[in-house]
Amino acid sequence: MAEALKGISVSCSNGEVFVRVVGRGTFQNGQPLRRYALEMMGHGYHQFIIDLGQCQGMDSTFLGMLAGIGLRLQQDNRKGQVHVVEVGPRNLELLQTLGLDRLFDVQTTNNFQVREAVPADADYKRLPDTDIADLTKPLNKNDTADLMLEAHDNLIRADHRNVDRFQDLTKFLRENVEKRAANEQKRKDDTP
Amino acid sequence: MKDFRIERETRGNVQLVHLSGSLDMYSFTRLETQINSLFHQGQYCVVLDCRDLDYIGSAGLGALIGFAKQAREHSGDLKLLNVPDRIFKIIELLGFTKVLEVHTGEDSALESFTAS
Repeated sequence: MAEALKGISVSCSNGEVFVRVVGRGTFQNGQPLRRYALEMMGHGYHQFIIDLGQCQGMDSTFLGMLAGIGLRLQQDNRKGQVHVVEVGPRNLELLQTLGLDRLFDVQTTNNFQVREAVPADADYKRLPDTDIADLTKPLNKNDTADLMLEAHDNLIRADHRNVDRFQDLTKFLRENVEKRAANEQKRKDDTP
Repeated sequence: MKDFRIERETRGNVQLVHLSGSLDMYSFTRLETQINSLFHQGQYCVVLDCRDLDYIGSAGLGALIGFAKQAREHSGDLKLLNVPDRIFKIIELLGFTKVLEVHTGEDSALESFTAS
């Protein structure tokens, strides 16, 4: 695999969005993909194909961000779906543990159905700053906390069994986000 | 990617747990099992030595808060020791250092239990 493709690369073809995750998918590189997905949904794309063939693992924030894409596609009744393909045993276990195998169309390395129009390697472009071993900018505290909270809320919406697993984390993050909002409001109120 | 490993030793009334490798969604259930087993034995004073930890995912971070909360409910605590810089930056960025005590020396981590 060319070094240039390390991180998250994207392409689109025939109304489908293709995403390739090389390395890890984490809270450190989830934000660029979230923004891209929202933009593409805004342009009318409803099918997202996430290729995990070279993905070494995902954390719960990344998975929750993917769940958010799946839930949004469902909620808007766009008949859209997230298709997670080339899923190895380890990533399959993660998806099953969090109940996301019921939200996504999951295709393992064994049952992968080759699509008609898979973009060529050269057609993928890497989303900026998604190689977590080589991030060029420090993460923004507020953006990261917001992403983590939203992602874990998505996991709970996708499967209520995740409440117990993530309630301490979401409580902590929510308190911080609310505290920050209250401070920002106070600053505004205090500004003459 | 290094395999996740857990080794435990007892230091007085404190359980010192050495972690190495990647603490991700896949491996964190092993840590959860180990910590829950300690809690079931009434061991609520725990130090996690993170010197050889090379990665921690968001599920792992969240679980640490839950463990610390449970330990405190039983007059104990869960504290972190030797957190590598790159992991500390993440913990600090997310504000977890406000709820998790982080030590840079083993003695200070162990003594903090007798002091409290």
